[in-house]
Amino acid sequence: MDEEDELPLLTAVSSSARQLYLLLRCINFAEKAHVQINEGGLQFSVDEASVMEGSAFISKDLFTTYTFRAPAPQRPSQREIGDSDDEEDEDPDETLPTFQISLPALLETLQIFGLTDTNTSKPPWARDNPASTATGGAFTNNVLGMNNMCRIAYDAPGSPLSIVLTEATIRTTCNLTTYEPAFNEEIPFDRQALALKTIMRGTWLYDAVSELSSTSPEKLTLWARTRGRKPYFALSSSGTLGSARVEFNNTPIRPPPPSNPPADTPPPASNLLETFQLSDPTSTFRASYKFSLIQRAARAMSVATKVSVRVDEQGVLSLQFMIEVEAGKVSFVDFRFVPLVEEDENEGDETQFLGGEGEESDGSVMEDEDERRA
Amino acid sequence: MRFKAQIHNIHTFTKLTASLNSLGPLAWLKLGDEQVCFTIIPEQGTQVWAVLSIDAIFDTYAVQSAANNVINLEVPLGPLNRALKSALNATSAQIRLTKKDNIPLLALTIATTSSNNSYSAFPTGGSRDDGTMFHDQFAANRETIITQEVPVRVLAPDTVSGLHEPQTREPDVHIILPPLMQLKSISDRFTKLALAGAKTSSGAAATRTRLDMAANMHGCLRMSIKTDAMSISSVWTDLANPELDPSQVANGDMGIAEHPSTRMKLLGSADGRSEEGWASVRIDGKDWGKVMSVGRLGGRVIACFCHEHALILYVYLPTDGGEDESVLTYYISSYSA
Repeated sequence: MDEEDELPLLTAVSSSARQLYLLLRCINFAEKAHVQINEGGLQFSVDEASVMEGSAFISKDLFTTYTFRAPAPQRPSQREIGDSDDEEDEDPDETLPTFQISLPALLETLQIFGLTDTNTSKPPWARDNPASTATGGAFTNNVLGMNNMCRIAYDAPGSPLSIVLTEATIRTTCNLTTYEPAFNEEIPFDRQALALKTIMRGTWLYDAVSELSSTSPEKLTLWARTRGRKPYFALSSSGTLGSARVEFNNTPIRPPPPSNPPADTPPPASNLLETFQLSDPTSTFRASYKFSLIQRAARAMSVATKVSVRVDEQGVLSLQFMIEVEAGKVSFVDFRFVPLVEEDENEGDETQFLGGEGEESDGSVMEDEDERRA
Repeated sequence: MRFKAQIHNIHTFTKLTASLNSLGPLAWLKLGDEQVCFTIIPEQGTQVWAVLSIDAIFDTYAVQSAANNVINLEVPLGPLNRALKSALNATSAQIRLTKKDNIPLLALTIATTSSNNSYSAFPTGGSRDDGTMFHDQFAANRETIITQEVPVRVLAPDTVSGLHEPQTREPDVHIILPPLMQLKSISDRFTKLALAGAKTSSGAAATRTRLDMAANMHGCLRMSIKTDAMSISSVWTDLANPELDPSQVANGDMGIAEHPSTRMKLLGSADGRSEEGWASVRIDGKDWGKVMSVGRLGGRVIACFCHEHALILYVYLPTDGGEDESVLTYYISSYSA
């Protein structure tokens, strides 16, 4: 393939495949991934039976060179933390190249040189060992800047996505068959009508979810409320083996309550929940999701520095993970989940729940409520 | 019929039996005056003909038989390998052919000093220092003798007379392979990729994976695999193509001039981008993985490619002297599809 002659749609070069691998691994739960190429980078998205979707955006900042020759003029699309979850740039403009590839095949290719086994069975000739720069001294390939290179090219619609990994005297070329994009609508998420928004550390969410997973539950329920300007957030799981709950109690040293409504109170950074907003602070928020689906985001939770948990008025859950792939460069991985329909939802629950308000008894109130339901 | 030898290189012997064992459970062991041959001819897959100089493994080697002092045995590699493993920390190990209840055996007599085990075997309870002192004084000199018996079958000369090394034509390309462990880790990924791709389609075709191996006379080796979802290939460059020795080729210099590899030299390029000049074979991915396990012996490997016919690997065991090298020859035939 002579990309130079044909002026390919995309040429992206990076000195390593590691960042790409780390991000894509987070959404590795389906056989096929949709890829969309735009000015700002590469968007990979996967979908599970239209009830869950995950997407990773590989910003062009992660490449040393990124050349995209749009088939037709296209306005640049910038993504920020605020709106990157929403594929608003994926507008009906059909000129942006979109196709499907086999995600497991891509991931397997990216780790051809054993990028993942950083600590254990890593062969000495493997590259990009994050520890090697620290421990391996000045003579590792990394430091010497050997001609390690990862090059991604996409020639024209219909041609394969080719990935070329070069390392010393080994050159691996992988041509991934590109498939027609399947027609699938993304899960609608209304960012203008949020019922809940909270930001916390990814590992905390990961710990909570892995703690709950021990009983192999079927359902994960999110609880949130504000009481006395104190945010309260809990995850509870239920299944055939029983139920469990993890609570996030936001009770560290707090500045005196400001005059704003509690919903807008920005808690100090030391708080467990960095941001906590409820559209209706007077009532208790509750929404349930299929546990096994949430668990698919576990990889992202474990590597994310921060996660933004948002639920819109329809109950659609959006998890947006901020992942630091290398110092100073953050990337975002998004997940969306369609809620489970709750049969036993009634006003009584909530009034009961709120009726038991007490300053120090968050947990016991919840338990009472659970017992009553059981 | 007599065979007795001191094993002086237990590590090599253990690794050798382990890697041979991955290709087949039974080996034909031919003990001769000057060399020891291991041959594995599985029903399907790769044949190995290993010729070891006696010094490579043994010391004080003695073999006697009515048939020109050659003993042919059928040895189960698994039990032999397990027996050798228990000798890894031995101070000395001896192997000999004996008989017990009319069953021929290879008896491995292993002498170890007990100091290695005594921490767990006799917990001293006191401080560690006391324990060590105790060893130094008493236990270090205590020797343990372990005898491992591996039942074997003695093969009559007639039985093995019909077995010959496969005949192959002169190779089109010969090349020194990169480190086998490196090759193996990449080929294993390829095999995994092919299996992952096949899982989604029909299950029937998933069991077989065909690796495409190719090399040219300009120092390039190419390994590739194709599935519905992808095609992937790795190219090594800057490898060496050893020169042929006129004394080893039929017709000497004339033979070299007409040798297929001389013609192949005119084709292809050193960067591996040209489509010409490749001699390629199709081999089974799993089988290749097993062959690659010989990489743990860490020897030099020369691969000879007979285009669309066979791949022959010569694995030279590292020796101290370097005079009469031990060589393992792997015959891998090419699949047509």
